Amino acid sequence: MNSSKHKAKILLFLGLILLITGCSTGGSDDSTIKNLKKLTMMYHLSVNTLDPHNSWAPLRAGAVETLVKLDNEMKPSPWLAKEWKLKDPQTWVFVLRDNVTFHDGLKMDAAAVKASLERSLKANHSLSRGLKIASMEAKGQELTIVTSEPNPALPSELINPYTSIISTAAEAKVGTLSFNDMPIGTGPFQIASFAPNREAKLVRYEGYWDTPAMFDEVSFQFNEDANVRMMALQSNEADIAYQLPAESIAALEHDDNLSVKSVTGLRVHYLIYNAKRPHMQDIRVRKALDLLVDRKTVVEGIMFGHAQPANGPFPKTLPFGNDGEVTAFNSAKALELLHEAGYQPNVEGKLEKNGVPMSIQLITYKTRPELTLIAQLFQSEAAKIGIQVEIKIVENVDAHLQENDQWDIATYSSLSAPRGDGGYFLNAAYQQGGALNPGNIEVNKLMPFLNQLNATEDPNTRMKLSKEAVSLIQKEVPHSYVIYPNILVGVNKRVHNWAPGAEEYYIITNKMDVK
Amino acid sequence: MLTIIKERLLQLVIVLFFLSLFTFTLMKLAPGDPVFSILRADEVAATTADEEALRKELGLDQPIYIQYTKWMYSIMQFDFGSSLINGKPVWKDILERLPATLELAAGSLIVLLVISIPLGLLAAKYEGKWIDHISSILALLGASIPAFWLGLMLIYGFSYRLGWLPTMGMGSAAHLVLPSITLGFGLAAIYARMLRAGLLEVLVQDYIRAARARGVGEWRIMYKHALRAALIPVMTVFGTSAGSILAGSVIIETLFSWPGLGDMAIEAIFKRDYPVIQAYVMISGSMIVMVNLLIDLSYTWIDPRVRYVKERIT
Repeated sequence: MNSSKHKAKILLFLGLILLITGCSTGGSDDSTIKNLKKLTMMYHLSVNTLDPHNSWAPLRAGAVETLVKLDNEMKPSPWLAKEWKLKDPQTWVFVLRDNVTFHDGLKMDAAAVKASLERSLKANHSLSRGLKIASMEAKGQELTIVTSEPNPALPSELINPYTSIISTAAEAKVGTLSFNDMPIGTGPFQIASFAPNREAKLVRYEGYWDTPAMFDEVSFQFNEDANVRMMALQSNEADIAYQLPAESIAALEHDDNLSVKSVTGLRVHYLIYNAKRPHMQDIRVRKALDLLVDRKTVVEGIMFGHAQPANGPFPKTLPFGNDGEVTAFNSAKALELLHEAGYQPNVEGKLEKNGVPMSIQLITYKTRPELTLIAQLFQSEAAKIGIQVEIKIVENVDAHLQENDQWDIATYSSLSAPRGDGGYFLNAAYQQGGALNPGNIEVNKLMPFLNQLNATEDPNTRMKLSKEAVSLIQKEVPHSYVIYPNILVGVNKRVHNWAPGAEEYYIITNKMDVK
Repeated sequence: MLTIIKERLLQLVIVLFFLSLFTFTLMKLAPGDPVFSILRADEVAATTADEEALRKELGLDQPIYIQYTKWMYSIMQFDFGSSLINGKPVWKDILERLPATLELAAGSLIVLLVISIPLGLLAAKYEGKWIDHISSILALLGASIPAFWLGLMLIYGFSYRLGWLPTMGMGSAAHLVLPSITLGFGLAAIYARMLRAGLLEVLVQDYIRAARARGVGEWRIMYKHALRAALIPVMTVFGTSAGSILAGSVIIETLFSWPGLGDMAIEAIFKRDYPVIQAYVMISGSMIVMVNLLIDLSYTWIDPRVRYVKERIT
């Protein structure tokens, strides 16, 4: 009897604890007590490491910086390096700022930068092919980099967040594991704590080399659910929420405390045609399929106006973006081209050639939900003129495209100019064995342009060559560029001097403020 | 009882061996490998030559049985290896996330008990009355409402509209409330119905009638005599739910930014991070077997007749 009563009491007690503590205010908040200015940022990707050489989060959170940064016009500009010059085709000299210290107080000199770059090359397998560093020499604030082959794109490659400059001396003190949770960089904020996939807390670094940050603390939180991010913004728990669902934007626009920033990013959504499939080798077929892409409906119906129709890999906001006409949807012309290519309707109204119906396997994936919708729209338009499109949704699109040959088209999304330069995408998407070329695309006469681009250092000439390469590519239609999706960010109006950048690199800055 | 424990621990070793063999083979047969994730971090992709070189470096080009043997050899020395994606020792990742998983499991267990036991008792006591109907409706809702929708509605109501609880995160007890309710509610409603069915079966037994004849109060009969007997089938089924509670629910962890083991496992599966997947399978497999062992042992506490039978067998 007594024992039963005791058990019941324990259960009741546990329930009460949960209810009472659960409905409390959630613990004391130091920033409220000390009246500190704090900003809460909600990011859409989960982050399980703050190793700056394997994650972009430390740079986005304002904890680390790179030698070179992208300016508002998407051009490389000085950051930790104040200037650089090409001494000979394979030797670059970078002059570093003299007044920069790491968060542990140590001075940032050429030796520290050399050690940091060496660490990044060791920690990140993907860096070496872009940097092509053969050796480095440090002397005071001057860093000399010798590349294994001429690498005119080196300054733009040093924009890559994975080349962020960190203190290897601090890493040696605390060990790599601890360092990767709390890296020591040179940014306006230093990391105070990190909970993987949940939150990084940062505090202002008082010894920052440029104008110190305008507020005291940052809570950089991660949540992959767009609805939760939106509700966190609406309930004033978050000041900035990244990548909100386009269909929910109207609700935010009615809130007097909130604003929505919709900016064209550096991303392009497109269709890749598999050049290994015989029917896809016919340019008339590719042109016909390109005409079946209804970009206007994608922009208005799928993206709710938060995108621009695409006419090439690079958006117009880039200096080398294509300013030509966007291909308009035209199913009649598409049908005409297919007739020319030998496809005729059979008794069922389906197009066929030599008795074989035209059937297309379209690969898509769910990570970006709009790609699946684009695939469905394409399927529906193709069906109207008698083309059967079978949509296949795969989990890992890269693995699928590389390991299978039977696909005809794939929806894809790329950051086409991640460092404000066209070289990366043009090489990766159009060279044989390129990282973004699973369809084995080979465009006639493109290689001389690419070779010239890869050997050119002058930024203006590089832009001109990129533009010329794109117009050459467009004649062959190896891809159908669909849209440039906007970056949708919800912002509380108490945040000042801030707008999301197209590059999505520099989110927390020393210039922004909260009222 | 000691014999039962020894038998179960031996079974655990066998279960874990086959579990690891099965998952390892299945993961290797599935398309894709971690090379794509390692080289293609944050959008910037690699060339096929880079991929081949890294595959060789990681030993992923070797036959499956060699890879498995190497992994098993390390496990025998209690070395789970390091994540292929971020290089972190796997045990560190698991130890970092285990407390969050246990906290969420405890929270949802409390929700489960607080809702299911009173509701089950009331529904059995007032069979066919309004409270019984409410319990039926709740069970139906609990079984049919998707966890992500319930979670979003709770956030909408308690965080956005009322502002009582945080939308997401972890730290204070307040953060635990919504994820615990989201995970515990679906199970609680079903368990309440199971408990009700068990109680109704027990309440017509002779010993209950005898207790009534002796003038024992109805609530005391319910709590003291019927509940214990009715709990045995409920506990048996609970053993099967333990997996979903302990391994965490990925949807709930994603929704509430709750850094538990489920979230870690899904990320590892998507990126084909084999050492993490294998360690997760071993740890969650062990926990589920241990919970079931504890449930078996709890029968002796719930119903003394079980203890008598076990002792006689041993």
